[in-house]
Amino acid sequence: MARTNQIQAIALCLGTLGALAGCQGNRSELPPVHLINQMDFQQRFDAQEVNEFFQTVDCAKAHNPNQCEGRAARLPLAGTVAVGQLHDDDELYRGRGPDGRLLDRLPAAIKLSTELMARGEERYNIYCQPCHDYTGGGQGVATQRGGGFSVAPKNLNDPQIRAMPLGHFFDVITNGKGTMMPYAAQIPAQDRWAISVWVRTLQVARTPEEAK
Amino acid sequence: MPAIFPRWTNNIPLAVAVLGPFALAGLVGFVWYYFSPKYTDVGYRPIQPVPFSHKLHAGDMGMDCRYCHNTVERAAVAAVPPAATCMNCHSLVKTDSPRLKLVRDSFETGETIPWVRVHQLPDFAFFDHRPHLAAGVGCSSCHGRIDQMTIVEMDQPLSMGWCLECHRNPEPNLRPVDQITNMAWDPATDGKAYDAAKDPKRKRDVNPPEHCSGCHR
Repeated sequence: MARTNQIQAIALCLGTLGALAGCQGNRSELPPVHLINQMDFQQRFDAQEVNEFFQTVDCAKAHNPNQCEGRAARLPLAGTVAVGQLHDDDELYRGRGPDGRLLDRLPAAIKLSTELMARGEERYNIYCQPCHDYTGGGQGVATQRGGGFSVAPKNLNDPQIRAMPLGHFFDVITNGKGTMMPYAAQIPAQDRWAISVWVRTLQVARTPEEAK
Repeated sequence: MPAIFPRWTNNIPLAVAVLGPFALAGLVGFVWYYFSPKYTDVGYRPIQPVPFSHKLHAGDMGMDCRYCHNTVERAAVAAVPPAATCMNCHSLVKTDSPRLKLVRDSFETGETIPWVRVHQLPDFAFFDHRPHLAAGVGCSSCHGRIDQMTIVEMDQPLSMGWCLECHRNPEPNLRPVDQITNMAWDPATDGKAYDAAKDPKRKRDVNPPEHCSGCHR
């Protein structure tokens, strides 16, 4: 009898231990266990990690706002240009010709091709479609939720907007316009041109026959 | 002279012989189950400073992963977006939501939002998103159904054994390159119907490294 009790007690202990430890895949807010901590977290920084050295500076006393926010990644000093980042091709990076006016064609560095249009469609559907919708109508899913936008996105098929030069769309994506924020940081210049081409394609596709 | 050991000690060798293997097997089983990254890592879901819901944005609204994680095709890391990306829409919608206060403050002042990292490889493993996307490994293959997660959690162990499983036989995890962000892609049905070797859009064979320096430099 005593032996059965012992076995029961052991089984109960093991069962409790198992229940406390849980199963594989159980949700937990506790961070993963790192058995070899010093190898998993070495003396170097990953992208977007914190560098505590830069948190020690008091923001009110910092010479440069870059010094106090604790990011491992450092912003370049004002006025410095990294190699290859000069972006002195005005057509490609500003969408403007030698006369300073917006281009109504692609810059010389970009050739029109089916690949460019496919790229433009894909990029448009990633970055523009949430607000401007798949056809450019300005009824995107982001405008339909959470009470809607206080200022509705433009309908890209408006005759007024259709009359704009190609460079206008590149310029708006790059610098924003009205309530639309700039997308230069999210989309590389080549892709912005591809999107401009796709916007033009949507406009042409949705232009009524008599207006062509 | 009385015996040094009482009579019951005669049972000890027998008990060790009978129970020992079970105890050993139990110990091995314990380590196998509980020391595995499937136990230590999978299901990790930290509470984030801003209660951002991937289920709402990527799931219900169907936004592409790359709207926010736009560096994923160009850099090794799929960066956490700056507050400016949130403000693209949230300067116009839910503009006074208290849950977004941290985002608005970050946008105004440039202070960092202290997001908690969910997927963290050890520093001696050098992972790069680019070749994986170029080969047609979908986001959901490693990150799970992010579009169904209100709070993001680790779906896969991200252990070396798990990496090698796919590096030794990548075919079942490949999909057309234009489907990488499609969360609904099902490897069991869509994956079976797709043969990477016969995809005309693929310019070269997928040949993942299996040698040490492929990932450890």
